[in-house]
Order: sequence, then C-alpha cells, then structure tokens
Amino acid sequence: MATMLIRRGSTALLLFGVAGCSEGNDLQPLIPALIEAFDGDGQSSVVGTSLPHSLRVRVTDAAGNEAPNVAVGWSVVQGSGTITPTSSTTGQDGIASADFTLGPELGEQRAQAALDGVSGSPVVFAATGLVTGPPPPPPPPPSGFQLAVESGGNNVPERFSSDLWVHGTHAYTGTWGTRTGNQGNVLMVWSLDASGAPTLANSVIIAGIRTVSDVEVSGDGQLLVLSGERGGQLGNSGGIYLYGLSDPARPSLLGSASVQSGGVHTVTLSSIGGRLYAFAAKNPGFSGDETENEPALLIYDVTDRAMPTLVHREPIPPRYGIHDTFVRDGLAFVFAWDEGVIIYDVGNGIRGGSPAAPVEVSRLVTSEGNAGSPAVHNGWWFHNPVTSERRYLFIGQEGPAVIGSRASGDIHVVDVSDLANPREVAFFRLNGAGTHNFWMDEARQILYAAYYNGGVVALDVSGTLSGDLGGRLLGQVRPGGAGNTFTWGVQLANGSLYAVDMLSGLWQLTTE
Amino acid sequence: MAAYTLADPVPGGRSLGEVRVSQPVLMAHAGALSNRLRLLATLNLEGLTIPNGELTPGAWGEGFVDRRHPHTYLHELVLSLDDALGDLDGTARISVAAGKGFAPFGTDDPMVRPPFRYPVNHHLAQILERVVAIVGVRAGPVMLEGGLFNGDEPERPGQWPRVSRFGDSWSGRLTVFPAAAIELQGSYAEVHSPEHRPGSGLDHSKWSLSGRWDGEVQAFPVYGLVEWARTSEAKGFFVFDSFLAEGAWSTGRSRLHYRFERTERPEEERLTPFRSRRPHLENSILGTTRWTIHTVGYGLAALPSGTARAQPFVEVSHGTVRDVGGGLFDARSFYGKSSFWSVSAGVRLSIGMRMHRMGRYAVAQDTAELPEIEQNGDHAH
Repeated sequence: MATMLIRRGSTALLLFGVAGCSEGNDLQPLIPALIEAFDGDGQSSVVGTSLPHSLRVRVTDAAGNEAPNVAVGWSVVQGSGTITPTSSTTGQDGIASADFTLGPELGEQRAQAALDGVSGSPVVFAATGLVTGPPPPPPPPPSGFQLAVESGGNNVPERFSSDLWVHGTHAYTGTWGTRTGNQGNVLMVWSLDASGAPTLANSVIIAGIRTVSDVEVSGDGQLLVLSGERGGQLGNSGGIYLYGLSDPARPSLLGSASVQSGGVHTVTLSSIGGRLYAFAAKNPGFSGDETENEPALLIYDVTDRAMPTLVHREPIPPRYGIHDTFVRDGLAFVFAWDEGVIIYDVGNGIRGGSPAAPVEVSRLVTSEGNAGSPAVHNGWWFHNPVTSERRYLFIGQEGPAVIGSRASGDIHVVDVSDLANPREVAFFRLNGAGTHNFWMDEARQILYAAYYNGGVVALDVSGTLSGDLGGRLLGQVRPGGAGNTFTWGVQLANGSLYAVDMLSGLWQLTTE
Repeated sequence: MAAYTLADPVPGGRSLGEVRVSQPVLMAHAGALSNRLRLLATLNLEGLTIPNGELTPGAWGEGFVDRRHPHTYLHELVLSLDDALGDLDGTARISVAAGKGFAPFGTDDPMVRPPFRYPVNHHLAQILERVVAIVGVRAGPVMLEGGLFNGDEPERPGQWPRVSRFGDSWSGRLTVFPAAAIELQGSYAEVHSPEHRPGSGLDHSKWSLSGRWDGEVQAFPVYGLVEWARTSEAKGFFVFDSFLAEGAWSTGRSRLHYRFERTERPEEERLTPFRSRRPHLENSILGTTRWTIHTVGYGLAALPSGTARAQPFVEVSHGTVRDVGGGLFDARSFYGKSSFWSVSAGVRLSIGMRMHRMGRYAVAQDTAELPEIEQNGDHAH
C-alpha cells in the first residue's frame, strides 16, 4: 500500500493506489487518467425533485484499471438545482456518485463531475425538469377539438394582409402587394379587448417599400421589427425597420437597415449572449454586381435599436435563396428553398459558432412531394415540454400557388435529435391546399399551420411521428369562408389563436 | 422595322403610344462541301433599339409583361452538317446541327410571320435562344428532329445561355409534308427551369400541333397557319393553352393579313408596370388571364423589285382579357377595362436576301426558305 498526494492545479487528489499486486508485493500508485459517465445521464424528473438515479462517474488509470479513492468534484452548471455531495470519492470500482436535485426551471438542467487534469473532465450530465411526472406515453388525440372563428375578419378590405405578431394587448399585421391600387407598405396596429377581439387602432406607412413581409415583437414588448421588400423604382430594395413600442398603439421608427438589390423577405429576433440579434432573409437581387444580388442570411446586432449593425452576411445559394429563419437555443435554422434547411450554430456551442461567425452544423433537402421542388420555406423546432424531447423540426413547403385561390405544399417532419444528421421522418398533406407559416402550442403538442386556401390547420404532434400524418388532423377552419380565405400566418397568444388572412384580414379563433 | 404603336389601355388604365425601331436583324448564310456543311447566323440588335421591350398588350416572357422582350444579340449561330451519312442511310437523310438558336419545337418565330404584332403565345409555341444540339432525319415526306439544349431562357439581350445546363432539356418535332404547300407538325418538349437560370424554377412540359399552308390559291399567294400549344408546369399545377390561326393573302403589291388568337397567360407579380420579378422568389402566380385577340393588317410593297424592299403597313388589334381560374389578379381593375385596342403603323425595310424561317437547321434547313408573302423584317448578307 502506498499513499500519494498529487496536487494538480487547484484540485487535491488523494490516491490510495493499490495496483500491480504482484507476488513481490510491489505496490505502484494509481494515477487517474480518464473520467467518464457511468450512469445517470438523460434523466427527467419533476422540477424541484431529485432525479430517480444518482449521477455516477468512473475513474480509471491509463491501463484501464479502476482508480479507487479519487476525489471527484460535483457542481451544477445549468439551472438552479443542487447536487450533494459536492465532492465524493471513488470506491474500489472506481465509481463516484452524487445526487442531483433539480431546480424550478422547466427543461434542460445540467450538472458536472470534474477531475482536473484528467481526460474526459468535466463529465456533463443533462437532465430535464418536468411540469408533471415522468414522460407519459403519447396521449390519444384530443377529443372534441375544434377550431372556430371567435371574432375579427374582413377588416382590411383595401389591402392584402401579410404577416402578424401579437404581444400583450396589441397585434400588428403587415400588408402585401397591391390591392385596388393600394400598396402593401402599411403596418396595421390592432388593439385587443378583454376578450381578445381585435379592433384596428392605427396604421403606419413604411416609406420606400411595397410589401411588409414579416413582423415580430421582441419578448419584452419594447421593439417591433419588420421586413420590407419590393421598394425602389425597380422593386428591388427593402430592408429591416425597427420601431419602439413604448406606446404599443403608436410604433415609432427607431432605425432601419436598408438592403438594396433584393430587399428582405423575413426577419427573426433572437437574444444570444445577452445581445439582441435580427436574422434577415435577403432576397436574390437583379441589379448591381453578382455579390450584391446574392441571397444571404444577414445577421444584425440590434441591441442599439437605433443603429442596427450588420455583424455577418452568410451567402445562400441562389436556388431561390433564403425564405425564413427560426432561431432557438443558439441554433439558426435557415429555410433555403431548393437548398433545403441549413442548420447553423450561432451561439449554441456545438460548433463554436456565434452570430458574427455562424458555423454550419448540417443541412437536409426535404422531399418534393407533389410540389415539383423541395421549396423549403419555414419551420419550427419543437421543444416538447411533455417528453423533454427536442426531436422534431417541422418544415413548411411552399409549393406552386395561385395566390388567393389555390396552393400546394406539405408539412415535412425532420428528426433533428442528432443535429449533425437530420433525417425526414414524416409528412402531412392537405390535398388542394398548401402550407405557409406555423405556430406551435408546445404544451398541448399541437402544431397550427396557416394553409393558404385551406385556412388554418391543427395537427396533433404528440408522440412519435412517422410516415403520413394525415390521421393527426385535429381541426381545420377557413376563417373567411370559401373564396375569401388565403391564410398567411397564425399565432397563439393570450389563450386565442390569431390568424392573418391575405384576403380577409385578422381573425381571432378559438381552439377548444 | 420602324413603327408607331398606340395601345389602350396599358397597365394602370392609360393609353400609351411610342415609336420604336424593332426587329433590326442581320442574317448570314454560308456553305461548304457542296452545301452539306452550313453556317447560319442571325444578329438581332433589339437590345439597342428596344432595351425596354416593345409595347404589345398581352405579350410576356423573359421578365417582360405587356411588352415584347428584346431578343439576344446573337439570335442564331448554328453549324449544321446535312446528309451526314451520305448514301449509308439510303434514301433517308440524317443531319446534325449545333450552336445557339431554336430548339426543334413548335412553329416559326413571329418575327418571320406576316403580322407585326407578336402573339401572346410566343413562349408557349417556340423555344429560342438556347445552346442546341440537334439530330434530324428526313425520309420522304416525313421529318423527325430531336434536340438537347439548356433550359434557361435569357433575361437580357447580352446574356448567354448557361452552358453548364446544356442537356437538361430536350425536345422533338415530327413534321409531315403531305403536299407541296402543306406542312403538319407535332412537337413535345421537356424544359427544365426555363424561368430561373440557376435551375430552381418549375419544369415545363410543352406540346405543339400545327398545320401550315404556303402556296397559291387561285393564283394568289396565300399563307395560313393554325396552331395549338400547351405548356404544363409543376406536373400540371399550372396549364396554359393557346389556339392561334393566322393567314395572309397577296395580290399585286398589296398584302392583307389576319390573326385570331386565344391564349392563356400567367399573371406574375409585377415590380413595375411592365416587368415581373426575375429571378423568381417562389413558384406562385397571381392568376391566369385569357387573351382573345383579332389582328388585321395591310401592307404595300413600295419597292417591290431589287434587293432593297420597303413595305409600309398598318395593323389594328382588338382584344379582350379575362381572368380564368381564380387568384388575386383582376384584369379589369389592373387595366381599367377588359378590352383593348392597339394600332401600329410603320414600314418594313429589307436589303439583300430574303429572311429565312428561323429555327430550321440541318435537315430542316431545306424548308427554311421564306416565301415573299411571309417576308417580314430586314436583313443583309
């Protein structure tokens, strides 16, 4: 028996190495060389409770022998849970353990075991905080579910409507193209009464564009950003426009970023590393040099809302280019038509990317279906709070359409549980109609999809998704009725589902 | 050709008149090896004279709407080898051709037909301005042509075909000559992404059937053409049909012509009154319109002899436009009314040899001679 005290960095390792018990009793000290997870990763539990199983690591030496009596440090690295003890010693089997009690946060929480200077350190354990108990089996589709019109509608007869965003007591909708001589250069501002019914409260004209193609309000409700296109003499310019919402009924222009040679099709806000960014989809252009014409993902730092600063331009192949971006957990999902979906690390950490230097994680071209091309248009990465899974990415395919009349294109479901290897696993098709923008009720596991002439569709997306999801249709409503419905987008807010329809304006729907 | 054209209405509901020099064309033919090896070239300078197109209600294509687009400067440059196998193929003749020009599909380019006004169906009934490789065979009264080409169409006069896309599209044309004056043809083409040069646009399946008369009737030169054309996009999601019948009758120095056309046209989002978005951003249109047009014209051969020719002409078109199949586009709202007039008056000038029927290469080049009654435009060699 030999006892050795080794100090490396700030960690004291007390080693009681019993190794090489040869006939000559020639005892050699064991030097830990590797620490690895042994058990306990990937558990779920109700927030505020302990995980069912201890977190355990195994420590071995360079020869693979278990290293006993090694002190391992434990700590919580994500969430406000606790772990006890904060240091534990390996047994004869080289295993040390600790118990992780989750904090109150829903979703992912992490703890780690550390052994400085040893390969594999730190070992990070992920766990998921749940609202209720452990993941239930996939529930049967809700019975009696019904989408129905509650209020609103036929309230923008002079213009075609485009995107919407609802925040607090107000909603904002864009306008599109030209209707009866009126251009789509207006942002409509709606006040919502106690029941959620919309009333037009104000309108804002955005100079220099002819279509407001996307609208979003920041999480704190203080900033509205919209994308504009089809501006200028040739219809080739646009940009992003930032409005302050200190008075939510009267958006005030704070700043803008002009995008010539294409304009901007969509814009998405995301807070990363304490700064607010706008992810803008630049259209392909047709004037200027080839570089200017190139479609691109433009990433602006809009922390200073009066001075949006372009921090990165990511060229997208001109196979129609980029249509939309969905950003979550530091990952940007770029929906790039025939190029498919491209996943970038813009702050997640899995590839070391940042908003100023995105790093591609993977890409996938989804199937053409009946649309004649992949036409990858939009998407939503589903974080399922019931199962803790982040498995599915829903992709909207914008197939050929006669705007205002008929459309095509499916919902494609991509399994992104391995982000580096996404794979298409399911689809949903509504014959005679085509999908557009999404919103998801994650808690209820229901995907709402605007479906152009199909109105609004609700899909049950609980459990495992595979193949044709036609049997998961929960409800459908054409808010404007036949011939007066071409729904652009939906959003769940304040307990209601809001739908904006190109022909018939803003609607409040119920989802009972 | 110099002409004044007045159209009422144009987009926005107003009338518009303008003078333009259109169809400035230089043609050249060369031959060797007993004329089995042939070079055919056509330069078109419309990029200089009508860079913003020619006022033509109903016309569309290459990003222009209600204006006929200017053609590319190098309209045709095709080298062909006729009767490539000599006597090895017996009485049949096999020929090959390659260069830039028309795919073997459909009917003659409107530039070489009697009416001044371009038909609405130009992009349904012809495939032009491509890099082509054509094989043709003729046996007796039957001629079969097959061609490979690039699907992309140009978006401006100085633009070259994407050679990298050569071979992504193909067409075939069967022509039968049952009598000396009669020509019957049927064509089919699969064109990959013609309206999006990088190749992400919708594929087009195209059909064309036509019958053509070119001969005398009771000692008067008479020309006639009846054609039907269809283009189906996105596996039939969009289908555009066209029917056209036209004819010309000459007596002495006078020529009368008439055209009836009923053609469906996609209504794309316009960025300006006469331009649609190029490149495309998505596969949507705003609707379909059906154009029904009657055109009648008269021309007088002012210099009927010699190598220089001049033909003053006047032409009147009247038509209606209707929305078909739904969509946001409202023709009556867009144009202010659902019927239109256009009047053109001008003069055709030509020097040197007569124009050839464009798009006829290799074995088909024997049929490319254009009779005087169809003569249209000027050329020199």
